[in-house]
Amino acid sequence: MRHYEIVILVHPDQSGQVPAMLERYRGMIETNAGQIHRQEDWGRRQLAYPINKILKAHYLLLNIECDQETLAELENNFRFNDAILRTLTLSRTQAYTQPSLMISQPDSDTGKDNDSESTDTQKTTPSASNQSETPVES
Amino acid sequence: MARNQKNNQLVGESGESLIDYKNLELLQQYLGETGKIIPSRVTNVPVKQQRRIAAAVKHARFLALLPYCDAHS
Repeated sequence: MRHYEIVILVHPDQSGQVPAMLERYRGMIETNAGQIHRQEDWGRRQLAYPINKILKAHYLLLNIECDQETLAELENNFRFNDAILRTLTLSRTQAYTQPSLMISQPDSDTGKDNDSESTDTQKTTPSASNQSETPVES
Repeated sequence: MARNQKNNQLVGESGESLIDYKNLELLQQYLGETGKIIPSRVTNVPVKQQRRIAAAVKHARFLALLPYCDAHS
């Protein structure tokens, strides 16, 4: 069992699926005797540069402890999930349980905006609408 | 700017490194106006810390928390 830190960028139009996704990943980890030590939802944040013409993403942070098979399964799952723009997995030496800096001291200039406002801006953005209808893997 | 005075912020009180890709405020102090990492010969950051800064900046860039340059559309 090793410790991993995973950051997931979810398509802003698919933010509604976030709780279901987290539930699924929790199930995958816990059925293989793993553990989620820290789970954070940074909400929709402005991206520093556009990814696939998308300007915002919903960020999730997971600090987990699992075996390598489970991690491979998770990463495979991320790859075929159309709602996920990008993920970063880092190996860590210990379990992190304290709230991260993103939660405890939200920065002002890169700005995390409130959900209602960003939902409106996303709905009016034509470029983001193409991918929003694509179904997510089961 | 007397940057060498600020480098004591890289290590916490119990000796743990504060350099992390999530610590954007800290990392931004080691980026120039165009988003480039400032060389340690300018900032007088120890080599070990500079490597950690560079790695953290690159992780943050990949996650679009920091820009790669100032020319992004």
